Amino acid sequence: MAKREQKTNPVSIFIQGDSITKLSYLVWGLGNIVRGQVTKGLIYLLLEILYIWFMISSGIHNIIMMGTLGTSTQGMTFNEEIGIYEITQGDNSMLILLYGVIAIVVSAIFFGVWMSSVYSGQMVYKLRQGGHPVPTFRQDLKSLVDGNIHRLFLFFPMLGIIVFTVMPLIYMILMAFTNYDAEHQPPGNLFTWVGLENFRLLLSSTDTLSATFWPILGWTLVWGFVATFSCYFFGIFLAMLINSKGIKGKKVWRTIFVTAMAIPTFISLLVVSTMLGKNGIVNVLLQTWGFTTQALPFLTNGLWAKATVIVVNLWVGVPVTMLMVSGILMNIPAELYESAAIDGAGPVTVFVKITFPYMLFITTPYLITNLISNFNNFGVIYFLTGGEPNTLNYYKGAGKTDLLVTWLYKLTKDSKDYNLAASIGIIIFIISVVFSLISYSRSKALKDEEGFQ
Amino acid sequence: MNKDKIVIGIRLKNFRIALIADVILLLSLFLPMTSSGFDGGSVVAIVKKLTEAGSGGRYLYFAGIAFVLFQTALSIFSNIRPGKKAGTVWMVFAALNTIVITVELFASKLIFDGASLSEQKFLVKDFGLGFWISFIAAYVSLVYVMKGMRVHTGYIVLVILSIIWLFPILWIVLTAFRGEGGYYVGYFFPKNLTFDNFIKLLSPGSIIPFRKWWVNTFIVAVCTCLLSTIIILATSYTLSRTRFAGRKTLMKFMLIIGMFPGFMSMIAVYNILKGIGLSQTLAALVIVSAAGSAMGYYICKGFFDTIPKSLDEAATIDGATKWQTFIKITIPLSKPIIIYTILTSFLGPWTDYIFPSMVLGDKQESYTVAVGLKWLTDFQRIDSYYTQFAAGALMVSIPIVILFIVLQRFYVEGLSGSVKG
Repeated sequence: MAKREQKTNPVSIFIQGDSITKLSYLVWGLGNIVRGQVTKGLIYLLLEILYIWFMISSGIHNIIMMGTLGTSTQGMTFNEEIGIYEITQGDNSMLILLYGVIAIVVSAIFFGVWMSSVYSGQMVYKLRQGGHPVPTFRQDLKSLVDGNIHRLFLFFPMLGIIVFTVMPLIYMILMAFTNYDAEHQPPGNLFTWVGLENFRLLLSSTDTLSATFWPILGWTLVWGFVATFSCYFFGIFLAMLINSKGIKGKKVWRTIFVTAMAIPTFISLLVVSTMLGKNGIVNVLLQTWGFTTQALPFLTNGLWAKATVIVVNLWVGVPVTMLMVSGILMNIPAELYESAAIDGAGPVTVFVKITFPYMLFITTPYLITNLISNFNNFGVIYFLTGGEPNTLNYYKGAGKTDLLVTWLYKLTKDSKDYNLAASIGIIIFIISVVFSLISYSRSKALKDEEGFQ
Repeated sequence: MNKDKIVIGIRLKNFRIALIADVILLLSLFLPMTSSGFDGGSVVAIVKKLTEAGSGGRYLYFAGIAFVLFQTALSIFSNIRPGKKAGTVWMVFAALNTIVITVELFASKLIFDGASLSEQKFLVKDFGLGFWISFIAAYVSLVYVMKGMRVHTGYIVLVILSIIWLFPILWIVLTAFRGEGGYYVGYFFPKNLTFDNFIKLLSPGSIIPFRKWWVNTFIVAVCTCLLSTIIILATSYTLSRTRFAGRKTLMKFMLIIGMFPGFMSMIAVYNILKGIGLSQTLAALVIVSAAGSAMGYYICKGFFDTIPKSLDEAATIDGATKWQTFIKITIPLSKPIIIYTILTSFLGPWTDYIFPSMVLGDKQESYTVAVGLKWLTDFQRIDSYYTQFAAGALMVSIPIVILFIVLQRFYVEGLSGSVKG
């Protein structure tokens, strides 16, 4: 039955249905009520009434307001009765947009309910026609722990995702097409739709904005690749070292590195950043040991800071790769090594011809996800350098080690240029999608090869 | 030499190379240890001068000389009469020598300046040819002795790496117990050790409400962990074990949503929280992280996918509902992944900084440890609270590290699960 249902669509149901079916498009749940599922039908009807009430009381108004995002600016008017200037409440574009998005999302949810009422009515109709018994409301409820368990299990997770992920995302995506920047802050000012202006400013203008965007994008890409692959190779090296035959106390060595990894990253990063400051212990020690006479600008010089960030990221990231790789190393078929040894292959050849290809084969998806998460590696940059050193060549507040995400954060938190932040968010999304697609096609190709199976 | 003698477990070829390195090491004792720009001369001259100055540092160089002599003697002996015992002693001396020379690299400035060996201050670049040659020769010798003795040379790398990895940890531990306050200190090892930092941080009258922070985080972590685990398990089970219209679409949808950077929607989430009157509360943290937790279903679903379907089918034939299958079959078989999920969702709130800092704003008594500790390293506060910050960091880290090391196995399984998927 489920299969037959999939072939029908709301339009065909409407065309083929009888008058009650047709009417139940207007009065939700009518089909259920007439055909014996009174409780279920009434629930649909109640939901419809709720939705209509919501739309009339505020929803329609909110959606219409989104067209202009408000017209009356907050201002001062002279109140002649009291004889003073008073603040008159203007429109708040931010709230208009938010309420509009809520109204749209609510409408989308109710659209789903509507469709479900149509299908449900159609199903009862079919059951009746075939002479089957119609499930009672009690039976419907029982099916929630059996055949329809996905409705029970996914209800709260989906509700959570819709309210706290989807809705905010739509809101922010829309914001990328407005001029909600530092100069257009509600409630004092209105902001409005500007189309693709923000993207134009970021990508192709001669403004400081694009002079900031491109270098930061470049550094984000460089950082992503260097951070991912340095951790990857170093991690493989360390795992191979610890796992090699002659090393005793493998557990002890592993625990040393795992300890470093188990400490919450924000703590280790905060500690390391205090250690690397001008008066931090590293500089103090380097001077007492006589390696240098002046404090080294670990975090204050652009180039130094970039190198520091990469090295510290190694400290954080290598143990993770080490742990992951250890498991894979043990799974490499021993025959491969034995036959290589018989053929007289040295350790380098074994690594290049067996270990590494095998590892790469298995870890390609991991590498790509890691690459994407490194493009978005907020923590390392934020806690270590905070994007500094700042430069006057960049848009306000952005610094030499800022990644796109940290810049996005600064734009929302410090300079309140929400439109730019949202545009950058969309650009980051596009980058992630591109790399994921590459990974998807790549890993599929690899899986089809079955080179090692 | 007795060419035909074969000693099991020893590679004589490597012994020869080590011997050459040792001879170079011995000769370099007579080369100038410091450059001509600095008034020092050979190592013997330096020991003499340090003795005149009454510096305790002379013992270091004296030990260096003695060890080189021993090492060369053992080297010659082992090459003539290779044996396991002599070889081991030789290896120990080679290791001692590398340690001494490495310590010399770091400590010479202190010793030379302390004894005012010269009018100018010593710098590492003032080391002469003798030092650098013996530095390299010591390591080369050690490597080849170890190779000759069939001991894995990886130990050298592991020791060096371990020191690098433990260095920040050691620093924060020492700082936590340091008696002298302040951010800037000119030395590594504290002059006084004390528990004061911990006591101050935990005392009820403390200016820093660290106890409150800790309890806050614990509450948030437990609640989030409970809710998230249930949500993740339910979502993964449904997506792995049931088939319904729109399942594939739903999974693709979540994948795409997940590619937007999380910070992007933060300001909107904040506005929504404000709208429902939850800003600056801990409940907001729990709700938001639990609400988003379903997005992280991949690893758990990957695990569920590996449980044979026939088990479910058998249960269905016996009349079990899906709910019963989930509770009685899937859950008991998924211990590792459940522990992994609990572990990661419990640890999340301890390390999350950005979102809590945004939600909690300036309401310090609601801070979680992450926000609180970051607040302590603010440039206005860092100098007065650095040692207490270290103590706090330690109190947060230790339970987590222990938890992590104990449950490491499950974490690795989760990690490799993510590789598979």
